[in-house]
Amino acid sequence: MKIELTVNGVARTLELPPLLRLLDVLRGPLGLTGTKEGCGEGECGTCAVLLDGEPVNACLVPIGQCDGRAVVTVEGLAVDGAPGALGRAMAEHGGAQCGICTPGMMISAEALLVARPAPSAGEVRHALGGTLCRCTGYERIVDSVLRAAAERRGAGEVGP
Amino acid sequence: MSVADLARYELAVPRALPEACQLLAARVASGEPTLLCAGGTDLLVELGMAPPLGAGARPPLCVDLSRLPELGGVERVDRDGPRIRIGAGVSYLALGRHALVEGALPLLARMSHDIGGPTIQARGTLGGNLATGSPAADGVAALAAHDATVVLTSVRGERRVPFAGFQTGYKRSVRQADEIITAFELEPLAPGSPWCWRKVGARQAQAISKVAFAAVAELEGGRARRFGAAMASMAPVTATLPATRALVLGTPLAGLDGEALDRAVAADTSPIDDIRSTRAYRAHAARALARGFLRELGAAV
Ligand SMILES: Cc1cc2nc3c(=O)[nH]c(=O)nc-3n(C[C@H](O)[C@H](O)[C@H](O)COP(=O)(O)OP(=O)(O)OC[C@H]3O[C@@H](n4cnc5c(N)ncnc54)[C@H](O)[C@@H]3O)c2cc1C
Ligand code: FES
Ligand code: FES
Repeated sequence: MKIELTVNGVARTLELPPLLRLLDVLRGPLGLTGTKEGCGEGECGTCAVLLDGEPVNACLVPIGQCDGRAVVTVEGLAVDGAPGALGRAMAEHGGAQCGICTPGMMISAEALLVARPAPSAGEVRHALGGTLCRCTGYERIVDSVLRAAAERRGAGEVGP
Repeated sequence: MSVADLARYELAVPRALPEACQLLAARVASGEPTLLCAGGTDLLVELGMAPPLGAGARPPLCVDLSRLPELGGVERVDRDGPRIRIGAGVSYLALGRHALVEGALPLLARMSHDIGGPTIQARGTLGGNLATGSPAADGVAALAAHDATVVLTSVRGERRVPFAGFQTGYKRSVRQADEIITAFELEPLAPGSPWCWRKVGARQAQAISKVAFAAVAELEGGRARRFGAAMASMAPVTATLPATRALVLGTPLAGLDGEALDRAVAADTSPIDDIRSTRAYRAHAARALARGFLRELGAAV
């Protein structure tokens, strides 16, 4: 099936079996290995990407349903090729340890910060509620997201 | 695990409901393997766990329901009184933030925030929740508490089934293989009326509940003039609690007896021991949830 979509702002035309998982298309033919596979069944959130701005689990999205739509992966959160406020905060404040959950955490956090630039800690927890982390105990991730939110408000940084 | 098989499936993307119904009718008539996909949050998990397709097996066709405008939208309609029509393909995310749902169906809005996590809410739909047929389905319990009407569409036209007549057994329903669930019609809850949505589970996000309880009521002169309630994970189908409803509707709230209520809840449910909980705990939780809501309504139970 022919599928036309944009990935991180770049228009792509793909010819692929339509039920392939978006996750496998990103990591395979598109070479975007930032998106990770944890569980492959919707439980861990580490494969999260933005689909038309909403966070979804790429392991549960058939590529055929992405025709005409916009996908943003963790690579697409970079600002001028370098981590933005969110990526920096995760690195500097202990929000990323082994890093496996980090792409999913950043995508879910990004969706939240676009909708609510000044979220409460509770809102951050809710937004990240579908993403599992085995390392940090979550506190530092929440803290990193709150710090990134404050920095973005100060600098006027906006999401993709 | 048969993720590799996904490369063998085909996808049809109908752009309008009549086209989807015709395609489905033709496939069902010829006996060719056919699947439907709305948000994919149940289907893709199921396909991943399915046994491998045999080498000679015909590749199944998946029909995409996500582009059908008829399955979208939330609106007021009139059907023997005011109703709210919710498209079967509306995501939990859209439901949870829809002003009409928040105002007139607050239980449904609350339930929508409690499904999985945000990534599941962005994709999952009520139509998929009902069609999958799990007795643990949260959205279905919320629909049942409202006595929602299920709208089914096929090449034969549209038919409306009251919720109480929809499920016929574990993962079985009156839906024919060529029918698409298109919408649900719910009676709005009078402003300020009491309602309850509770999931009792191991964690708040991402865990199927041990018991879920949905209930709405409208009170007048010390009685419930409307009382709808349902439980998930308490029977092979969504438990619609007919004995409990009859007791509450037939008794002034001040005269309601706690033990009679417990007996009605027990008669309405048949909990089991499984990986998530025990029969005894579920029965206890069900009694406590029902009593808790009735206390909120003013009963001394
Ligand atoms: C991590 C995770 C967490 C979850 N948490 C919860 C939870 O808390 N509570 C809960 O209740 N569920 C939960 N679920 C299950 C699932 O998300 C819901 O059941 C959801 O509502 C399914 O909707 P869908 O649109 O994704 O269905 P799909 O996967 O697209 O479809 C499911 C089935 O329904 C059929 N179908 C879909 N739409 C229609 C229609 N309109 N007409 C006829 N048939 C149709 C399809 O053929 C398919 O067989 C969870 C799932 C995951 C993976
Ligand atoms: S890999 Fe997709 S949710 Fe775990
Ligand atoms: S940092 Fe290791 S899983 Fe979260």
